[in-house]
Formats: sequence, C-alpha cells, structure tokens
Amino acid sequence: MAIVEVSHLKKYYGAARGIEDVSFSVEEGEFFGFIGPNGAGKSTTIRTLLALIRPTAGSASIFGKDCVKSAPEIARDVGYLPSEVFYYDGMRVGDLLKYSASFYKKDCRERIAYLAAQLDLDLKKKIDDLSFGNRKKVGIVQALLHSPKLIILDEPSAGLDPLMQQRFFELLREENRRGATVLFSSHVLSEVQKLCSRVAIIKEGRIIQLDAVGALREDNYKKVALEAKAALDEALFKMDGVASLSVNGSAAGFIYRGSVNQLLRVLSGLDLESVTIQEPDLEEIFLHYYQ
Amino acid sequence: MNIYLHELRAYWKNTLIWTLSLGAGTVFMFSMFPAFSGNAVALSDALKNYPLMIQLAFGLFVDQIGSVSGFYSFIVTFLTLVGSVQAMTLGISVLSKETTGRTADFLLTRPVARGRVAAAKILAVFTCVAVTSAAFITLSAVCAQAVSGAPFNHRPLLLMALSFFFVQLMFLVLGFCAAAVIPKIRSVLPVSLSCVFAFFALGILAAMLGNEKLYYLSPFKYFETYRILTTASYNPPFLAAWGLVVAGLTAAGFQVFIRRDVRA
Repeated sequence: MAIVEVSHLKKYYGAARGIEDVSFSVEEGEFFGFIGPNGAGKSTTIRTLLALIRPTAGSASIFGKDCVKSAPEIARDVGYLPSEVFYYDGMRVGDLLKYSASFYKKDCRERIAYLAAQLDLDLKKKIDDLSFGNRKKVGIVQALLHSPKLIILDEPSAGLDPLMQQRFFELLREENRRGATVLFSSHVLSEVQKLCSRVAIIKEGRIIQLDAVGALREDNYKKVALEAKAALDEALFKMDGVASLSVNGSAAGFIYRGSVNQLLRVLSGLDLESVTIQEPDLEEIFLHYYQ
Repeated sequence: MNIYLHELRAYWKNTLIWTLSLGAGTVFMFSMFPAFSGNAVALSDALKNYPLMIQLAFGLFVDQIGSVSGFYSFIVTFLTLVGSVQAMTLGISVLSKETTGRTADFLLTRPVARGRVAAAKILAVFTCVAVTSAAFITLSAVCAQAVSGAPFNHRPLLLMALSFFFVQLMFLVLGFCAAAVIPKIRSVLPVSLSCVFAFFALGILAAMLGNEKLYYLSPFKYFETYRILTTASYNPPFLAAWGLVVAGLTAAGFQVFIRRDVRA
C-alpha cells in the first residue's frame, strides 16, 4: 500500500517556480530518499505534503487521504523534522515537548524520556540557551515522540556532530524496523545511500530519476580512469554516454553510461599504461545528472 | 484548549502590565477631578476660547465639564487610545510571532485544523483584552463613586466605560486580520501605535468636518462620548456597524489564515 502518493504536483509562488511536475509514491515500511540540490523543489514538495502550502495543480495524499482536506487527521501519524528547527524561546525543553505531546491523544512521557536519553538531551534547559545541534535534538524528539507511522525529514542531519548523526540514523532505522515509513530528503548522498532503499532525484522541479538505490548505481554507469603512454586528446572521448570528462596530459577520467563493448572498443585503440573501471558512487551519478 | 492555555501563559505578564498601567492612569486622572469640578465655570470659559478640535481631541465639552460623567469623557478618550494600542499589539502578535519566530512550521504541522488554531489564538487574546477591560470598567465605577460628591446617573459613565472594551475589540480584530494578510509584521508596537493614532486623527478630522458618514472610518467615533453623555445611549446604526466590522474582520482574518501558504 502506498503511504505517500504524489501525482503531477505543481506549485508556483506567483510567477516563481516551486515545483513543476512531481510524481512518486512511497510504499509502506519503505525508507525513501529524496535528493536534489537547494532550490530543486524538495522542501516545496514536503511542505505541500504537510499542508503548509497549497498546490497550484496536481494532488498529494498520505495514508490514502488528501493532504489539504485531511491535514489534521494525517498529522496525527506524521512526524516532521525540518532542516532548521525553531521553537518558543522562553520555554524549557521539557515544557516544549510536553506541549508538543499534548496534541496527540496518547501518553508520550516514556517515549520522551527514552529519546532524550538516547540523544543526551537535557530537558530542563531553556530553548534560548541551546546550541544549534541541541535544538536539532529537540526537533528529533519532537518528531518521534508520538511514534508516527510516517516520518518526514527535510535535510535532517545538518547541525549534528558525526556521533549524534549515527545515533539519529540508528533511531530512524529502529523506527523503520518498527514499521514506520520514512521519507528522507537530503543533498548529502552518502546518507541516502546508507539509509534508503529507493530514491527519487529532483531537478528544477521535476523528478528525473526514480529507482532503487542499488539499481541507480548499476544502471550501466561506469567510472573510468586511465593513464596513457602519450598525451591524450579530448576528441578521443567524444562519444555518447560520456560525462564529467577530464583530460590532464596523459591522464583522463569520466563517467560512462552505455554499452561496455563500445567503451572497450574505444579504449583498445589507445596505448594505455593503466585503466580502472569502477561502479561510481551515487554522488558521482548525481553530479552527472546536474551537468 | 492547549493552544489557548499556551497563549494565555505567553501573554499574562504583558496583560498584567497593561492592566496595571491603565489602572494607575485611571486613578491618577480621577484624582484630578476635584480640581476640575471646583473650577468648572472658569474652565468652561477657558475652553470656549480653544478651537473645537481641541475639545474633540481631549473629550472635554464645555457644558459637561463639571459633572463626573463629563470629566470621565476626558479620561475615557485618553485611556481608550492606550487600550487600543494594547489590543492591536495583541491582535497582531498572536499571529505574527509564529511567522517572525519561525514557529509556524511546528504549530501548523500538529494535528489541529488551522481554523481551530486561529480560534484558540483569538480567544486567548480576547481573554486578555476582556480582563483589562473588566478591570478598567470596575475601577472607573469605583473611582467615579469615590470622587463624586453627589449622586449621579451611572448609565452614561458605564456606557462610556464599556465603549473602551468595544473599541479594544475592534483594534484586536483589526490587528488579527492585518497579521493574517501580512504575516511578517516585525515591529508590532510601532505599527500599532501609528495605526491607532492615525485612526484617532481621522476621527477628529471627521468631527471637524461635521460629516457623520466619515465617522464610520474611525473606530473611535463609533461610540461618541458626547452623544453618550447627552442621550445615555449608543447610536444604533453605529452599534450595528461595529458588530459588522468586528465580525467581518474576524471572518476575513480566519479565511486568510486558513488558506495562506506558510513558506520556509
């Protein structure tokens, strides 16, 4: 069953584009990555799902319910963590979390205590006195305290030190094992690679690729690095499927998508010292999409 | 209910300060009444020499200055200005603080319909204004009783005191509606002060021009003290218009708040 269903979603702020045409779905129990650079439309998509903004066209549903019409009902089972968290400065962490918990019809005290302990968060501190990283921890507890069925994260790891990031990712995996679906937006591809099973790549307001993380890497992409005995000419590599080409004297490197036989035929015509052909990581594929 | 209580907690100190200040102002101004009433004739003569604008601005009327109710017109004119600033700052800030403090994302992703959020918020600031008004009205009645040497008709005085609350309500919903339409109002107090004084000046101008239709443009002219002093009643068309304006601004504020985009 699809937990999130986005169909031809479009959002314009006056004449300015938010998103152009976004369609994807997230299945129950999935850890879904949503990647793209700043301004591509990740946050706009997420804010539409959360009914913070209204779509210009298209539709979005969560748990089979329309995101705009059934927003309060949907929100009962959604946990949201934005990239930057802001809370009421005069409050103490514990009071803020209690206030947040008061919106859900369940006792969240045990859960708050557990999550705070996991993240080393002092509940007695005032929000004003917290560092950016500690505010983020408040955001994490706030997003997870009601054991949501869907967790939406918009660039969530900014501001957390590596150790805390690990703990946070472990908490997310724990939630995912419990059955929660996760929609994880990021521009840090290694995070998505580590955590997600499927990924959607967004560029200039459109989904340009939607695939399993593994498949995306296996999709005939090769990272080629070679060293020739004599200086190389860029023209040698002018063929379909070559991207991110760099030639430096007798050394060259590029990302290749296409027939391996074709690639080998070209390479066999060169007088080479060495050649390596590897699976590129997601980051390199991603850069390729943006060229 | 939790949003309502949260807002009350956020505003109780602010409300206490405004209420105490208004209370102190009321007591102070009433304490001047014996001096005024003792020299009523001389004061009336002096007042006659001032332009009409001054009489209108200060709420001092030549024929009414000697009575406690007539003097109260002067008090209520001034303190309504202060109360209006309080109400408008509350109306604006209860919505705008979520945008300027960037807490709107937190609040509006809770499982509560936006209409209920707006209702809880306006109810909380309405409570604050009602508390201030109740204290002001009670204190006005007590002070009037204390300083008037002789029995007097309480009705005009109470109607004027109650008009303080009505004008406050009008500025409260005006602020609420303004903050719904323009989410990022950062300088809440300067905006409220300018708006309140602009409407006050507009009221004086309307009175000077003698055009009653222009009275509808200024919240301060809906409950004109001179009319209350002389007829012991409100002007029915203005009372109806007040109801329409308050209901209209509230409904407009709700509609905009429910539908507006909350941008990052």
